Amino acid sequence: MRQFILILSLLQLAMILSGCYDRKELEEQAYVITIAVDKTDRDNIFRFTFEIANPEVGSSATTPSTNEPAQEMISVLGTDFLSATSTANSSVAKEITLEQVRVVIVSEKLARSKEFIHLMQSAPSTVDLKLNAQLVISKEKAEEFVRHNSPNLESRPHKYFQYMLDRARETGVIPDAPLVRFFQITEGDADLFVAPYASTVKKPKDSYGDEDSYKAGEIDFHGGNVTQFMGSAVFKEGQMIDSLTGEETRYIHMMDPTFPQQVILSTFVDPLEPEYNIAARVQLDKVKVKIDYKKNQTSTIDVYITTHLNIFAIPSTEDYMKSQKKRKILYDSIQKEILKNGEKLVKKTQEEYKAEPFYWSLHIRKKFLSIKDYEQADWSNKIYPNAHVRLHVKVASLEFGKTLRQSDIGRVRD
Amino acid sequence: MFPWQKQKTEAIEKRENRKISKNLKDNIAYLEEQYSYGLNYDFESKSVHGPTGKYHLLFYSTTVNTQQLSNHIVSPLLEVKKDIPINQILSVPSITPIKNMGEAEKGLNEGSVIIFKEGLAEGFEAKIQDFKHRAVEKAENEKTVKGPKESFTESLPTNVSMFRKKIPSKDLIVENINVGMRPAMPVTLIYERDLVNDEVLENIKQRIKNITVDNIRNVEILEQFIEERPSSLFPSMLYTERPDNASNFVSDGYIAIIMDNSSSCLIAPITIWSFFHSPEDRYLRWAFANFSRLIRAIAYFITLFVSASYVAVTNYHSQLMPIDLLLAIASSRERVPLPIAFEILLMEVAFELIREAGVRIPSPLGPTIGIVGALILGQAAVEANLVSPIVVIIVALSGLSSFAAANYSINHTLRISRFLFIAAASVYGLLSLLGAILLWVAYVVSISSFGVSYFSPATPSTKSTHDTFFRKILKNERWRPGFLNPKDWDKY
Repeated sequence: MRQFILILSLLQLAMILSGCYDRKELEEQAYVITIAVDKTDRDNIFRFTFEIANPEVGSSATTPSTNEPAQEMISVLGTDFLSATSTANSSVAKEITLEQVRVVIVSEKLARSKEFIHLMQSAPSTVDLKLNAQLVISKEKAEEFVRHNSPNLESRPHKYFQYMLDRARETGVIPDAPLVRFFQITEGDADLFVAPYASTVKKPKDSYGDEDSYKAGEIDFHGGNVTQFMGSAVFKEGQMIDSLTGEETRYIHMMDPTFPQQVILSTFVDPLEPEYNIAARVQLDKVKVKIDYKKNQTSTIDVYITTHLNIFAIPSTEDYMKSQKKRKILYDSIQKEILKNGEKLVKKTQEEYKAEPFYWSLHIRKKFLSIKDYEQADWSNKIYPNAHVRLHVKVASLEFGKTLRQSDIGRVRD
Repeated sequence: MFPWQKQKTEAIEKRENRKISKNLKDNIAYLEEQYSYGLNYDFESKSVHGPTGKYHLLFYSTTVNTQQLSNHIVSPLLEVKKDIPINQILSVPSITPIKNMGEAEKGLNEGSVIIFKEGLAEGFEAKIQDFKHRAVEKAENEKTVKGPKESFTESLPTNVSMFRKKIPSKDLIVENINVGMRPAMPVTLIYERDLVNDEVLENIKQRIKNITVDNIRNVEILEQFIEERPSSLFPSMLYTERPDNASNFVSDGYIAIIMDNSSSCLIAPITIWSFFHSPEDRYLRWAFANFSRLIRAIAYFITLFVSASYVAVTNYHSQLMPIDLLLAIASSRERVPLPIAFEILLMEVAFELIREAGVRIPSPLGPTIGIVGALILGQAAVEANLVSPIVVIIVALSGLSSFAAANYSINHTLRISRFLFIAAASVYGLLSLLGAILLWVAYVVSISSFGVSYFSPATPSTKSTHDTFFRKILKNERWRPGFLNPKDWDKY
């Protein structure tokens, strides 16, 4: 009996002491907020740039602010996330931890190369790295992107990325792309993965188009931070193949039932005075996708998009509110415009990419009894590119904000 | 058992059985010697020469009501002309004849007046005690805003009268059991004859009778002699100073135990829920009472787990924290020399010191505690980089919450358990904390109070008022607590 107790207490001791193995004091760790990865001239060796948050800046209202910068940036070579971390630790005093990584930035050059998928393979096995970190593709070198990015108002890096990504996702111009989604789609091997596209280098387009038919870097603005999040990078089989504009990304949001349904802001052509635009907040119901699968024939895909519009700017001062006839015109025109743009995007994916970024493969999987059947039918190569896609757009309701009638320009000018 | 004990008992018995003699002088001489007349300054031995004979009074001047003595005993004895028995002369409410010296001594000890008459081989005991005690005051430790305000006081008759006032019924039994030897003190059990479970009652009576200690003077000591697990963290009797609370329990079939010299009573058997209930929960309306229950429930969880969770999360699971909070904690801890677990323990111990000192400190010095506690231990400790500000907040929160407990008996349980949980959390993070909580809950569920499961009616589940976390609307409370198995389950 006594021996038994002794053994028990020794076991207890082992448990107690092994507890200390995992214990880390908070202030003894350096929290990485952003990881930027670049291609080097050697294969499978990457340049990792870690942006480490300085906890002392901006976290307390009472303690006097230090002169230290809000973040520290360190750039090392490595083959995967973990080995780069340990290399970086040779210069950073505190233990570097990847637990709080919010954003993984990958340069377009690396994303377009075959090595990208090898880099990403090391992410899930890195215990610390949480898979809900966002993947962002930068047009220029990722290291440059991180170094150029210097927001004036949100000096703490994690705040900047949190607000920036949340805001851009709300307007629908960039997609939600956690690392875990990359793996889901890439391993599913049927759909395209889209990731936010960003840049800090301005190359403005000459013409002013709609407010969202840009890609990152093309917007002409002055002042503020140079960083732009706009559009998306398209990945096929773990490799980037193209980039889409903000508007196209917005339509991906409309048609993909797995994205959280959000309210997005958009403009439409004023049907009565086409030189003006109408600004609206578009609220989407969950999109419904029905696939009529016919073996060895053209399958039909029906997509039902229902929107609720809240129109809050009619610069042409056309009175849509009072006239039922004009309202009908507006309904039809908006439906037509959404339909036209949607069909254009679908056509592009069918012909150019030969795969879709809407995660529709989820809807065809249930038509097959076994995974083998499904793989044989080959959604991405055979079914989708040849399928007949029909969009059904319905504007369910229109609201006109706070005003009850438009001001009469003629009378005002008079 | 031991020969000297036998001699002692024999001597006592011989003395107690000594008959009262017809000779007045003998009786007086004997009692004056027993009571060290002359040495005991308050022991009085007075003779009264009335028209019908010679009387003698013996009493403690400090324990009898002197006005009653002169008006209702001495005056009638002096005035009576006919030779009638003493118990018919005197107009005091309680007068009993006594046969032997044992009874005389008992009466004297209890503060009665002993009256002898020349030529009569019997005495009389007139109960006109006037022991001093506090008046009925407001409850100090179990305050309520709504509901009766009076509390028990250190006098058995007063306390019993408060019970009788609340439950005016012939079924309310007030039963005495003597406990101890030097001298034997009565322990009073109060219960409703037609409700109480006889098994539980017999269990409690047996435990009281089995006490073999020289004396027990109040219920606080008695509690420790009759409880089942004296070293357990969980009390098995409820200690309350509110007569309204006690009578609520009695009218549900519980048993109240009171003693002279105690301004509180014990309720047995008890379940853990009763410690979390305040009598006000029944006086307040349904929604208000349950809101206050909710706040208290939150307070219990905070006091038990907030410090331990902080230790576990910061040490082992920092990825669980929002990054703003994480960076704020990390930056405030940058200059703190102690590990988090010790930091928390330091502040918890400091808080316990304030609490302990606050109870003991003489009231003129009371404000010192506030200054020392708030300024030195809070602000100055942070400024000196001994602890981080968030730890001060957490410890203050958990300390404050521990006082939201409705009953003081459970307050210590919560506070000591908190230290156990902190220790557990610092070993292996949330894993070991959960392990500790599991063991703790398993223990609470396994124990019982006088045969009643400590966690009922939650588990084992029985018919009852279901008054655990929240209470029902009073009209819907149909059953008496079934875990007590009262003689009558139905309230209607």
